[in-house]
Amino acid sequence: MSVKREASFVKRELRAISGLLFFGGVLIVAMTTAAQEDDLASVSAALAPRAEGLIVARCSVCHSPDLVAQQRLPKDRWLATVDKMKHWGAEIADDEADLLVRYLSARYNPDAPDQLPPLDSELRKAEPLTQEPADTGPLVGVATRGAGIFEHNCQACHGAGATGGMGPKLAKNPILKHDDLFWETVLHGRGPMPAWGSVLSQQDIADVHTWLLTK
Amino acid sequence: MSESVSSSRRTLFRRVAKIIGGLAVWRQLRPALAQQTASPETGPQTVRVMRPYDAETPVREFTSYVTPNHRFFVRSHFGPPAPELIAEANWRLHVGGLIEHPLELTLKDLKEFERVTITAVIQCSGNGRAFHRPKVPGVQWERGAVGNAQWTGVRLRDVLVKAGVRPNGKHVQLQGADRPVVSTVPLFTRSIPLEKAAHPDTILAYEMNGRPLPLLHGAPLRVITPGWMADSCTKWLTEITVQADEAKGYYMQTAYRVPVTAIQPNSGLPGTSMVPVEAMVVKSLIASPTNGDQVGRGPVTVQGVAWSGEASVSTVELSFDDGKTWEQARLVGEDEPYAWRQWQFLWKPAAGGAVTILCRATDAAGQVQPQESPWNPSGFLWNGWDRVTVTVEA
Repeated sequence: MSVKREASFVKRELRAISGLLFFGGVLIVAMTTAAQEDDLASVSAALAPRAEGLIVARCSVCHSPDLVAQQRLPKDRWLATVDKMKHWGAEIADDEADLLVRYLSARYNPDAPDQLPPLDSELRKAEPLTQEPADTGPLVGVATRGAGIFEHNCQACHGAGATGGMGPKLAKNPILKHDDLFWETVLHGRGPMPAWGSVLSQQDIADVHTWLLTK
Repeated sequence: MSESVSSSRRTLFRRVAKIIGGLAVWRQLRPALAQQTASPETGPQTVRVMRPYDAETPVREFTSYVTPNHRFFVRSHFGPPAPELIAEANWRLHVGGLIEHPLELTLKDLKEFERVTITAVIQCSGNGRAFHRPKVPGVQWERGAVGNAQWTGVRLRDVLVKAGVRPNGKHVQLQGADRPVVSTVPLFTRSIPLEKAAHPDTILAYEMNGRPLPLLHGAPLRVITPGWMADSCTKWLTEITVQADEAKGYYMQTAYRVPVTAIQPNSGLPGTSMVPVEAMVVKSLIASPTNGDQVGRGPVTVQGVAWSGEASVSTVELSFDDGKTWEQARLVGEDEPYAWRQWQFLWKPAAGGAVTILCRATDAAGQVQPQESPWNPSGFLWNGWDRVTVTVEA
């Protein structure tokens, strides 16, 4: 074997090896990406019940959650956005902000498809923000407490003093006399109104109901 | 006066002639049109955000010169104010700041000023935000946060003259009656430079397409800054304040700004080198056919609109080969400053299958609609080539 031929053989070998290495590299990158995607999906699934509840409770005071769901942002921009909203008065505690940023950047990241698989509707009900006491006797609403809960959660749409706004006027609204309809609407939503079952406790809802009856 | 009457009569005749001509064309085209299948872009409005209500106009509406009020895109930061605040009995326009005579005007007072009508394009600064890559935060507008309407009202200049602007007054601050749900959120306070405010075409409009201004479009009074993006077109206007400087606050000092020079995507904000979004950039849209349509092999009328900020549209070109070659469309219909220009092109598809139609406009100032707009952190001023993909029957 001449030196020249030997050199060309070595070159060919090297090319084959580097090809293999390249292929291996691509495989590793692909596997890592797939693993990261899996990871993001599991993070978002795990955090969804609480995070989606927070979005309804804290964000939708000012804007409907569809504004959140149409974003596809990296973590730093989600962090900046949540920070901006806190600064503007969104009632988000520090641990809630951390959870929101983790969830939002896992589910609504730049690589997520435009059409995301729907959230499991069961998830939404899974974890109320306020835990129910174990003993569930008959609920007695407290009007003074209801006033505060209404102001933070319902007023944005139903107006100060429940006199109406984007949503209907609730003061003297006939629905107040139909407990089952009232509860059904609050727990599961109706038309543009979101479901509040994962945000408000049964006691909260009873308090709001009692307060509304005084209006 | 008699001249304008006769000219409007001429316009009427022209319109009637056009309608009759249009009917004849319609009869010829009907079979071809009937084959176009329904697409998702044909609903009354495409809602982007339920509350505050933000919705865009399906592009097929743009085959009409004037965009109807009930289809016109809707955008605000906080939604309309409480009805009692803008009821005619309660509503007042206050003019203050660096002026000689503070004014408090009712709608009736305002209508004492000379009545003027201007047809103008109004476009959200974020129209097309969804097309920026990397993606940016904000309402993900696609193509329809724009419309062309006839605005009637009074010149802002006439109101300012009555108030008497002092020599140190350089900016005109605009405040509407809309309020955020939570009082810690900054108000939507904007300002425009005095030159734009005093321009004879800048108006305070109380009618839209011949009807009282609808609530969602700013009743009873909104600012129209022809040629400029809609962030200057304050709705539900209640306060005009003449000042030495630009308005303070988030919506003027931070939001609605773009980098002076192009920056790298996702790079840091350049701080002081951000300037307010003002004039519109040259842009065109394909209104028909729409994405996903099926078209026959016979001639297909491709049509749409084109506009620019402060210059007229000079050409509109189409490409059917991914931008390799371009063919010129015919400019048709009304030709008014600040309004959009309609265009048409008779296309004879060469073969069946999927075809992407591209469209770009050039204005009299030489601005050409680019393939993609420069990236900016808030995704403003998108004017990349418009594109529509259709299927030509085999």
